[in-house]
Amino acid sequence: MTANQATHDEARSVLISAEGITKRFGGATAVDDVSVTVRAGEIYGIVGENGAGKSTLMRILSGILSPSEGRVLVEGTPLGVGSRAASEAGIALVHQELSLVPEMTTAENIALGAFPTRSGFIDRAELRRTAAAALEEIGVSVDLDERVARLSVALRQFVEIARAVASKPRVLILDEPTATLTPAETQYLLDMLQRLARRGMAVVYISHRIPEIFGICDRVTVLRDGRHIETVLIGETDPQRLVDSMVGRELREDLQVHRQSAPGDVVLNATGIRAPRVNGIDLQVRAGQIVGLGGLVGAGRTELVRAIIGADPRSAGTVTIATDDGLRNVSSYQAAVRHGIAYVPEERRADGLALTMSVSDNIALPNRKALSRFGVQNRAATAEMARRLADTVGLRPPNVRRDAGEYSGGNQQKVVIAKWLGRRPRLIVLDEPTRGVDVGAKAEIHRLVRELADEGAAVLVVSSDLPELLDLSDVVHVVRDGRVAGTLSGPEADERTVMSLAAGGQEVAS
Amino acid sequence: MNDSTPTATTAAEPEAAAPAPVDRSVAILVWVSQRGVFLFTATLIVFASVFVNGFASFVNLTDVFYRAAPIGIVAVGMTFVVISGNYLDLSVVAQVATSAVILIAVSNEYGIFPAVLAALLVAAVYGLVNGIAVGYFKANAVIVTLSTTYIGLGILRWLSGGSIFFGPEDGPIRALGQVEVLGLPLSAVVLVVMALLLAFMLDRTNFGFTIRAFGSNNEATRLAGVNTSRVVVGAFLLTSVAAMVAGFVLAAFSNTAVSTMADGFDFGALAAIIIGGTSVFGGRGSILRTLLGVIFVSVLTNVLVLSGVGFGWQQMAIGLLIVVAVSLDTIARKVATS
Amino acid sequence: MTEPQTLSLGDTAATDRAGRLRAVLSRRTEGRAVVLLAVVFVMALALEPLVFTAYEVTLGRVALIGLVALGLTAVILMGELDLSVASTLAVSGVVMASVPNIYAGIAAALVVGLLIGAVNAFFVVKIGINSFIATLGMLFVLRGLAFVLSGEQPVRLTNIEAGIAFGRPLVGPVSPRILLFVLVFIALQVFVTRMRVGREFYAVGGNRQAARDAGIPVDRRVFTGFMISGFVASLAGVINTLELTAADPTAGGTVLLASFAAAIIGGVALKGGRGSIVGTLLGALSLGTIEVGLTLSGVQVDIQQVFIGGVLLIAVITDPASLREATANFRLFRRREPEVQS
Repeated sequence: MTANQATHDEARSVLISAEGITKRFGGATAVDDVSVTVRAGEIYGIVGENGAGKSTLMRILSGILSPSEGRVLVEGTPLGVGSRAASEAGIALVHQELSLVPEMTTAENIALGAFPTRSGFIDRAELRRTAAAALEEIGVSVDLDERVARLSVALRQFVEIARAVASKPRVLILDEPTATLTPAETQYLLDMLQRLARRGMAVVYISHRIPEIFGICDRVTVLRDGRHIETVLIGETDPQRLVDSMVGRELREDLQVHRQSAPGDVVLNATGIRAPRVNGIDLQVRAGQIVGLGGLVGAGRTELVRAIIGADPRSAGTVTIATDDGLRNVSSYQAAVRHGIAYVPEERRADGLALTMSVSDNIALPNRKALSRFGVQNRAATAEMARRLADTVGLRPPNVRRDAGEYSGGNQQKVVIAKWLGRRPRLIVLDEPTRGVDVGAKAEIHRLVRELADEGAAVLVVSSDLPELLDLSDVVHVVRDGRVAGTLSGPEADERTVMSLAAGGQEVAS
Repeated sequence: MNDSTPTATTAAEPEAAAPAPVDRSVAILVWVSQRGVFLFTATLIVFASVFVNGFASFVNLTDVFYRAAPIGIVAVGMTFVVISGNYLDLSVVAQVATSAVILIAVSNEYGIFPAVLAALLVAAVYGLVNGIAVGYFKANAVIVTLSTTYIGLGILRWLSGGSIFFGPEDGPIRALGQVEVLGLPLSAVVLVVMALLLAFMLDRTNFGFTIRAFGSNNEATRLAGVNTSRVVVGAFLLTSVAAMVAGFVLAAFSNTAVSTMADGFDFGALAAIIIGGTSVFGGRGSILRTLLGVIFVSVLTNVLVLSGVGFGWQQMAIGLLIVVAVSLDTIARKVATS
Repeated sequence: MTEPQTLSLGDTAATDRAGRLRAVLSRRTEGRAVVLLAVVFVMALALEPLVFTAYEVTLGRVALIGLVALGLTAVILMGELDLSVASTLAVSGVVMASVPNIYAGIAAALVVGLLIGAVNAFFVVKIGINSFIATLGMLFVLRGLAFVLSGEQPVRLTNIEAGIAFGRPLVGPVSPRILLFVLVFIALQVFVTRMRVGREFYAVGGNRQAARDAGIPVDRRVFTGFMISGFVASLAGVINTLELTAADPTAGGTVLLASFAAAIIGGVALKGGRGSIVGTLLGALSLGTIEVGLTLSGVQVDIQQVFIGGVLLIAVITDPASLREATANFRLFRRREPEVQS
């Protein structure tokens, strides 16, 4: 602790003290022996890459989760479990907008769960007063009687904050609150938080956005891989150092895009793509090329690829794919699959596999036309294809008759990929292909992807795992706020640069 | 979605995560809900043969067959709808009666072939209306088929005036109804043939495959490139065809047709399917199970009737069995995913 | 850092009166019901004005349909469904008729309704069965129960005079049936718009997880909802039995259809969180008028059912969510796309 820090700390009382927090889920450790303190009147930033453990820590601090080890003390008293205990302790958590009731009014949402009543009847005047007071506290004007569903995304976020503030908390925790806000709205939010802090509230601000952290935080903690790396006063560091701390690898220069290939003709051509969270993106992928999409949570990458392939509707933009019969429009998901697009979704259990069916069945599903005659399944051909593809992807144990749900994450992911291999796709889109996958399977999946590209397929990969992204890709587009912030390839594409672009450093001309 | 919540999927999951039975009693519950029907049916038949007077007689058993066949045919057809996760088709009540009335009334006037054609047309309409409403409009199947039931019954009663239609004594329908194959009534044979056909469709054809996949995971099936709306329409069309055949069988058996003939078929078919072990949530089940369910429900009803139990009690008994079966299934699922 | 002005972030508060009116109207969910009611009234005026002159009959039918529909609304608002109302109606009627003392009979019937609601809620909340299936199962079970209790035939009221007295209008054209309906309407309207517990039904239906996170006891609310539905259905059974002076164990089928149609046309969304008691009232007005109008025109009961069934089918398909799905799914009909000139 520096002298600065000591002076800084003395002036502020400790509200929350989290000691030795460790949290395990199954076999994995999300948070590993982290200790933090939250002080009144301070804006405390917690930063880290995707998966560093920030959100888990936040949920532990707000009482939603209980730690596997360690404890959370609120002014000396241990924190109980559950949101009730947390709000009684004066801790308020600002969720993403998903925590609003769409058809209820602004006022009702702000007071949800705590409607003022007089003998069972809602005291409407008091309700409006409470809601209006909360809104005034944060300095935003919203129609109290409007259904929240009709408000803009930004306003909904502010209503969410108003609800948190209405309970007069002493600690306000926000997780990525500006993901859906424009720069002007973001600035407004930051100003508001500073006002609240000046009045004595403790604000915990979780984000990867470096400019914002440097804009308002007094103190910052860096987490990486669930561990506490450092805690510094904002004046004792600078953006680049912070990024370095987050990323943490010394020799970052050698982890760069190093795949060298001679890409062929353009396979996928997407122009002017607009959708929720996607604000006008053009994208091309060539045969034999691996294009990586980097960026932070909420940047819009998943939304982008789903809009391109038609899995979700897009409000604007055209997508064409080069097939053996010429250029074709991709106007719907079915068309996409028909023209040779393969999609490996982000949520393999929810969207990628029928868990109660066998591996063989899962593999056969997109290939059923080829594996049947006049609509009747050809058992022998199915079994043969399933075995062959399971072998290609390295499914272990290679028992294609087992239910897909019984395999580990890595194996499940291999099955999802395997089912598309039978169709020789021209474009394969993978969203977080190795999340939750063990190291061995991860390497095998990378090998598969590279082989696919070498054989001429166009590959589009979304990944929050920076080393993976750089290792696999020929070219990396960094997405931020629904737009491409920069395109990198070759030696200039290293983790630092990607992270800076993603988190809000300078725009790099592509 | 991306970073925020480390649920179990962000951690490397364990190998072979087959659900280990946490509790002995829960494991037994799971087993019962999935395989119990075989044992129960066998036990029931043995019990009835020994203890219930009049059960094990040839006359009685053939009667059970006669009664079981039409509902059974509907049940095996409706299994597709249930497996696809769309709960059930209540309008079979209207469809079966309509088919029976069409067969007799139209053949009396114009002959069998036009009658069959007309019945096919009606089945197509029912299947398409139900299927499109549920598959394309994503409306709730229970409410949609409730409405089509009343629409269908209303039209039927209006056109038929509620009267009973009789086929001629020496007519082809009466003749068909008397046919016996290897000592078994034709209706039972039809049931067996349909069951075999539908089992083949469910297990060995792409159509059946997509239905099972859709029931197991809607979204994954859609993302695998399947036109899931069409799949749902197919399931309802199939049910309508089965209902049509059941109506023919019903009409042939008694050589009569009236609009109230098929009352209770929705309940009976659902009972057979659920008690047979097909999950009402979709994805899991088979025609064989439905057949067993049909046998179980028919035998049970027969036993209750022979024991002098009133109609109301029968309904309650079977209704309770449905509720219990669904409860077991729900609990078993919860255990499996915890 | 200066204190900033209140930021205008696309503030939605309209300031002029016309704007406010428009804003208020656009929030309402009763649109379809109003349209249907208008259409029905116009057609009735043109084709069968007797519907209006014989308004006691019309209002009487509206009351019965509306009663059951109101109970249903409470449940649907939370995103659940109660299909057992038809047999609840029958069972309570039979219970009431089976008890010699008329007041004890009524009390017993209402208690039965509450109990059935509790049992439904038990299956939905404690065991976790989807309410469609749970209440469908209960529908079957209760149908059987009605038969068992009644000996498979209608049960006559012991106190027939009470039944006849009940059928006589009290104040002007207002019979006890209509009066009860109005009372239930007012009670539920107040409950759902002005009382905390009732208002929270919308939260339970609109975003159950958010409701839970906000500390609302969701399970308790679901129990309350089902018990309201059961109670109201049994009330309808009592009314039915009194007026017919006998309890029919098969009663309820057609009312079920019409009340579902009334609620759904009234704007109640099946997934919950949307809709209003007033909408259900309007829906009931439409459907009751349709039924009576058709009866008075001499249209057979069977065709009436075709109409009501048709209304329900159209209502459930034209749900805004369903329409959006349909437009997306129907685009898949286009098979071959033309080659793109590049």
